[in-house]
Amino acid sequence: MDSKRPIVEMRNIAKTFGSTRALRGVDFTVMPGEVHALLGRNGAGKSTLVSALSGFTPADTGTIRIADTTIEANGQNYAAAIRGVMAHVQQTPRLFDLLTVAENLFVENASVRNKFGFVSHKAMLTRAAQLLTEWNLDINPSALAGELGAGSRQLLEIMKALSRGVPVMILDEPTAALSNAEKRILFEHVKTLKARGVSFVYISHHLDEVFEVADTVTILRDGQVVKAREPVSNLDVETIANLMMGEKTSRSSREDHTNHQGQILLEANEIEIKGFPDSKVNIQVLPGEIVALAGPVGSGKEELALVLAGQTAAISGKITSTRANFPDMGFVPNDRHISGYVGILGIRENVSIGGLDRLSNTFGFISQREDSHVRRLVEQTNVIASSLDKPVSQLSGGNQQKVVFARSLCRDPDVIVALSPTRGVDVGAKEQLYALLRNLAREGRGVVVVSDEEDEIEQLANRVVIVFEGKIVDQLVGNYKMKDLILHMEGVA
Amino acid sequence: MTIDGTTTQKSGIQSDGQSKLAKFGSAFVAQGFTMYPVLLLLVIVGAIVAPRFLSTTNLINILDQVSVLGLTTIGLTFVVLIGRLDLSLEGIVGFAPMLAAIMLVPAAAGGLGIQLPGWTGLVIALGTAGLIGWFNGFMVVKVGLNPFISTLGLLVLLRGGILIISKGRSIYSPGEALTYLGSASLFGLPVSVLLFVLVAVVVGVVFHFHSYGRALYAVGGNEEAARAAGINVDRIIWSAFIYAALLSGLAGVLMTGRLDSAVTTQGQGIIFSAFAAAVIGGVSLGGGRGTVIGVVSGVLLIGVINNLLTLADVPSFYVQASTGAVIIVAAVLTTLASRRSGSVKTRT
Repeated sequence: MDSKRPIVEMRNIAKTFGSTRALRGVDFTVMPGEVHALLGRNGAGKSTLVSALSGFTPADTGTIRIADTTIEANGQNYAAAIRGVMAHVQQTPRLFDLLTVAENLFVENASVRNKFGFVSHKAMLTRAAQLLTEWNLDINPSALAGELGAGSRQLLEIMKALSRGVPVMILDEPTAALSNAEKRILFEHVKTLKARGVSFVYISHHLDEVFEVADTVTILRDGQVVKAREPVSNLDVETIANLMMGEKTSRSSREDHTNHQGQILLEANEIEIKGFPDSKVNIQVLPGEIVALAGPVGSGKEELALVLAGQTAAISGKITSTRANFPDMGFVPNDRHISGYVGILGIRENVSIGGLDRLSNTFGFISQREDSHVRRLVEQTNVIASSLDKPVSQLSGGNQQKVVFARSLCRDPDVIVALSPTRGVDVGAKEQLYALLRNLAREGRGVVVVSDEEDEIEQLANRVVIVFEGKIVDQLVGNYKMKDLILHMEGVA
Repeated sequence: MTIDGTTTQKSGIQSDGQSKLAKFGSAFVAQGFTMYPVLLLLVIVGAIVAPRFLSTTNLINILDQVSVLGLTTIGLTFVVLIGRLDLSLEGIVGFAPMLAAIMLVPAAAGGLGIQLPGWTGLVIALGTAGLIGWFNGFMVVKVGLNPFISTLGLLVLLRGGILIISKGRSIYSPGEALTYLGSASLFGLPVSVLLFVLVAVVVGVVFHFHSYGRALYAVGGNEEAARAAGINVDRIIWSAFIYAALLSGLAGVLMTGRLDSAVTTQGQGIIFSAFAAAVIGGVSLGGGRGTVIGVVSGVLLIGVINNLLTLADVPSFYVQASTGAVIIVAAVLTTLASRRSGSVKTRT
């Protein structure tokens, strides 16, 4: 094969989710034996592009050629056609928790099956043990995958992909859950495989990793390529940040209503978060303040927010709030489809379950006040619906999220903790929710936001708390610039 | 709405121009009235086929017969609304009154020989039922068992328990205190019927207007969302099992009263009819959906069908099979109705 011929060629790839154009005609090529870093901010389309490449979420239009397989994308599934030449390690490990480590490693590997399709367990265990030794991992191959820690799981997922011997490999934020030692092992393997001619598409939020391991860089912004196939040696952090950021589009901007003299609304003292031993977090929320918890996937920012919201208990430490009862925190969960709303119930019921005890009389019967209370909240959060009895599952994503906000405000809380407050809502609803959060701050409430979107954080937060490995590692207060935020988030500033 | 070409969306609650008929239709189904036209049809058919059917005596007889199933089904609805099930209710219908009976009657009549005063009968029966419900809740909430397997085990255990404590013999005339509710009449109506109506009304009001009812629907509709909203989900689940057991215990007492004896086979098979009645009445086995109005229609439907088949002199072997067939048809109707009225899929 001609070594100058790209192993991957994607032409004019487009992908739309609802009203969001995630990819708008992207070209992307990978040469054999190259580590190609794909950079861009959250929502720029990196994960969507590599998912289109692996067929995990098929592209709507465009041409994809991998080695000798060519696919004309039309939204239909084509993952099976490229299984033999492509491995995709996703952000969160997708292992079979109830299967053993060895079974997970060889689940799609034909080499442990005989000609009748039966799997030799002995061969599988031996080969798994070999592989684990090769990676310097002290894991019993017959342990259940579900029992492993986050780092080991991530490595296992990577090993599974690498051991399939495919020519192209996608690593989507592979180091998120890895310790430094584990990272070293990973990078060595990437370099070894690269020397053998294997190509990598590498996504990471850590620019230092990119400079260490990548040869070429492509930068995406808003679903388009802004820098294609640039050798990494021609770039520096400054240039990359500028390219990722792009020009500012017209958006609402943040307001500062922080009352520095006010009584602290919520205070966490030396709290240890579950899953993050020796994390001793201290954090305060002031009246009128919007605090954003930021950090990479698996950094513990969600877990911290759940503790602050009183949804999970801290292992140790003390949390004090103005009100003794934790349910008096307004809480907007991460994924509204899972824990945000009750789909078969109407808007009224969904809002009022946020404060049933407040809306009922001494005997527990729902009082007349319910209707006016719900109406007021629904108006405050801008819900648009034909009636209060409309099942929430029939509303649009934006309206569903507004109902979740209305519910969280049902008890008139001092502090609102919102995880991914605008996940999966359109631009219009997004701005309405931003306005809502700013209004809540103006009223003197404290707001805690967890978000993966730098734009969102920059538009909302008066204080950005960077969380990493369950600890607060950095803070940005007051009048920061977008570039500061990106640099702090990428962990190089 | 403005017609100036801009798509300014005003916030708030506005009618979406759905026709009145369509609205009435979905409300009709949502509130559990789906089966009442079918019931009416059956009554008309019954009146034509068997003239005796519409007589006051027969109608009261039907109500009297369904009151046991009715209370059990309303109890079952508590658990099904939160997306769980409780098979042991059938065991409670038999076990709770049996335990009370053996404590009341003399040793010669098959009792334990402690001959507690009569008034304790109801307390023992309901107390036992409540404890069994507490145990079911404990197994599901604290131990984390799947309610299907834990209550199935308990059902079999209770069935065996009945035979053990009664030494395999039925207890006759366990005393008026235990049999009053199931045998006496007030204002020309059996007390059991009045009790069924009372329970149906109270539970119906609680489901609809009480914060506890709201919590049941929320937990059944989406447990995680209910938890995130600050509802004490564990307490709701636990209490639902207790209420279900209490109502089944009451149903058992009614049955004992009607037969004037605690029979060893008492309640056998009732859980199947209860599930059938609940599903026919529009209760979703997936949780979060169902009304007492609907449940009552399901119970009445089963009662009327049984009665009609008997009056029409259908051989008893065929009665059971026909009831089963009718249950399937009714369940299909209910599912179709709820699918047409709302675009939300129901897991029935």
